[in-house]
Amino acid sequence: MTSSVGTEGQTGGQPFGAQAEFLAEKMAEVRREISKAIVGQTEVVDGVLIALLAGGHVLLEGAPGLGKTMLVRTLAQAVAQKYSRIQFTPDLMPADVIGTSVVQENGDGRKSLGFQPGPIFTNLLLADEINRATPKTQSALLEAMQEKQVTVAHTSHLLEEPFFVMATQNPLEMEGTYPLPEAQLDRFLFKLRVPYPGRDDLHDILDRTTQGTAATVSPVVNGAQILEMRKVVRTVPVAPHVQEYVVKLTLATHPENRENLLASKYVRYGSSPRGAQTLILGGKVRALLDGRYNVSMEDIRALMLPALRHRIILNFEAQADGRTPDDLLEEIAGKAE
Amino acid sequence: MHLREKIKILVPGEFSGRAFLSAWRNFWRQIASGDRAQTPETQISLARLFDRRPCSPELHGVIGILKTIRQRILANTLLRGWTKWFVWILIGLIAVAAVSARLAGAMLFIAVLAAAGAAAILAWTWRNRLSNYETARRLDSAAGLKDRISTAIYLGGIADSDGMIGEQRKDALAHLGKVDPRGFFPVQWPGNARRAAVLFLLAAGLFAYRIHHKPPLLSLLQSTARSQLVQSILSPIVHAMEKDLQRTVAMVTMKPDAAGEEMQRSDAASSADDLWKADDKAPGADDQKDGADAGEGDQPQDQLQAPGSQEGNPSGEARQQESNSQEGKSGSESANDKSQEQSEQQGPEGRQSLGQSLMQALKNMMSNSPNQQSNNRAAQKPNGQGTPQSGNSQQPGATESDKRGESRGNSDAKQKATQTASEGAGSQQGTKELRKDQETHPVNAVPDRVALEASGFKEQTRMKVATETGTAQLSDRGLSPQQDAVTNGAEQENIPARYRFYVQRYFEHADNGKQ
Repeated sequence: MTSSVGTEGQTGGQPFGAQAEFLAEKMAEVRREISKAIVGQTEVVDGVLIALLAGGHVLLEGAPGLGKTMLVRTLAQAVAQKYSRIQFTPDLMPADVIGTSVVQENGDGRKSLGFQPGPIFTNLLLADEINRATPKTQSALLEAMQEKQVTVAHTSHLLEEPFFVMATQNPLEMEGTYPLPEAQLDRFLFKLRVPYPGRDDLHDILDRTTQGTAATVSPVVNGAQILEMRKVVRTVPVAPHVQEYVVKLTLATHPENRENLLASKYVRYGSSPRGAQTLILGGKVRALLDGRYNVSMEDIRALMLPALRHRIILNFEAQADGRTPDDLLEEIAGKAE
Repeated sequence: MHLREKIKILVPGEFSGRAFLSAWRNFWRQIASGDRAQTPETQISLARLFDRRPCSPELHGVIGILKTIRQRILANTLLRGWTKWFVWILIGLIAVAAVSARLAGAMLFIAVLAAAGAAAILAWTWRNRLSNYETARRLDSAAGLKDRISTAIYLGGIADSDGMIGEQRKDALAHLGKVDPRGFFPVQWPGNARRAAVLFLLAAGLFAYRIHHKPPLLSLLQSTARSQLVQSILSPIVHAMEKDLQRTVAMVTMKPDAAGEEMQRSDAASSADDLWKADDKAPGADDQKDGADAGEGDQPQDQLQAPGSQEGNPSGEARQQESNSQEGKSGSESANDKSQEQSEQQGPEGRQSLGQSLMQALKNMMSNSPNQQSNNRAAQKPNGQGTPQSGNSQQPGATESDKRGESRGNSDAKQKATQTASEGAGSQQGTKELRKDQETHPVNAVPDRVALEASGFKEQTRMKVATETGTAQLSDRGLSPQQDAVTNGAEQENIPARYRFYVQRYFEHADNGKQ
């Protein structure tokens, strides 16, 4: 941890305006540090930072070699947090993730069962190729992601805050995988698609990774500051019409309402209330990162796809027609405005 | 109602058809249930109450700006509504000026309607005027302020100078100062103002025209209707006259008794001549028009067609062609054309003497008929070979070859008629051909002694007037009246009294001469 990180709770006593400015400034620094290692992918980086400040988790979907793992490692370095990586495989067991009780021998030679924490006890967890583990193992993350605790042998163990899970999955190699259940998917604040880099970005990647110079990422913020920022985020006001738009957008994804013609035709399950919460919270973070103190409709539109694309389940007709959640959401948003 | 709900009312939603119907359904449910909490009146009054809510002093300048913007939006809405209404009023004025003969009452009514509509639009616009919050939303959208002003207005009643709300307010004011909010909402002419101006000029010109003229559209309609009426009435009458003339000429070759009966049956059709004359003299006489209509109805189906219907045209044409193919073009036919042209040139005068000439020719015929019966039969035989006259097949003197020729002629004629009708139904050309064909209709059925032709008999009849009057006997060849002749006979009661008197006087004169 460097001096630039500052002391814990530094922003607590300052006015909200100063806290907001501090947040925007620090996040800009984090962006810069991440950009030392990650070329391009600005939307993905912004989405990860928004999820971090909103207190959610991120599911990254992209082809191999696009820098997903490097992004998580770089972020952990920039925010000066503990970092763990779990490679999900079909034979991975829940105990391998959350830990287990083992026989321990104390100083006087007596033996007892003691909890051995798993890799989930960290601040930033990279669940690499999460869809390769069995649903049983995948569900081991449910409690941790939502309740920020794990329960082993009737004993609950709190996870250290900030707890931030970044899971990755490969959309290409689907054989031998276990698609995440809806309940698991709903735990993720955003589902970010990692695009293939452009021409210029690819040139930069080649220049940085083939010349023997490794980028050094400096920590910018600490965990306490992140928690303070999360508090500041929740004070951002939302105008009624923006909130109404969020509610309309969320309800418009539900096929039960016959007025939603598009959802009735193509959607099997609509977005949960977590989707609306995600839109508002993400909008607040985005507003602060943009230097604003209010959520705008533009924030909601920008976050609609990453916040809702994994929360609507398409039916067979949509798959037969080649519809994707993204284009359906675009159409639904156009009608909801 | 909570503040959030008040604002929610003002948030414009989607305006799809289904949502519109749903809104109407909800509205009527509220009306039926007596729940006035969500009615538009209540919503608007709540919006006004929201505007009257105390606001932070920092936002007074913003409120002033929003009021100005709201007035401009109101003015634009009013202009748009009034222009639309004005366009409709102008359209109504133009229609009234073009049609109505009396403008004073209509203009008074339209003036009242225009004033009432303008007042209604004013009341409706004022009733649905925007609130400050909605105006702020429009300003945010127009100036790209990312909902800063609307959020500040929404939170305007909360005193939080050090908190996030205060920061947001400062941020909104700072960004508002960077733009010219009034510049985004200029008072401008509505899009259909040009259309309204054009309509206004048109209406003004029309009213200026109406100072000294009748309603143009009405005059145009009347003239059009009159010309169509003349075409549709007179042309069938002329055709009917020609048809009756031919029938009469053919009847002369029959037996006297049959001719007498045929004469009586054709009287109704012949009366069209007098009617035509009367129509020329007094076009407005209804009784004579009725007679003309009856004469028109007496025509056979194939020739009595309106100008738009072509079924009769090919029939006549086909008969003409068949006749020409059987007999060739005779000299009498060319003379017929010539006399027809003369008849048309002579106009009403020539047609007035049509009845007289007909009777004279009939008298001449009757005086010579005993000696001419054999000649008539001889003359009729070749005629029967090619001229497809209905009824000839029942003549006692007709041979089998006559009948075959006739039936063949009929079938050919019908075939050609069908073909021609299918080719040119409804065209104007077909009508012209019909008239031309009918004008040159052959009179091959007329025996030589009679020398009576379709339209040129007037002059010839005068030449034969010198023959002595006397009793005449027409050869009775067992002819039975044609089907259409029977139909004509049913119209004998429609013979005008003037024509009855004429016939009566004619025969009295003939009796006197004989004595």
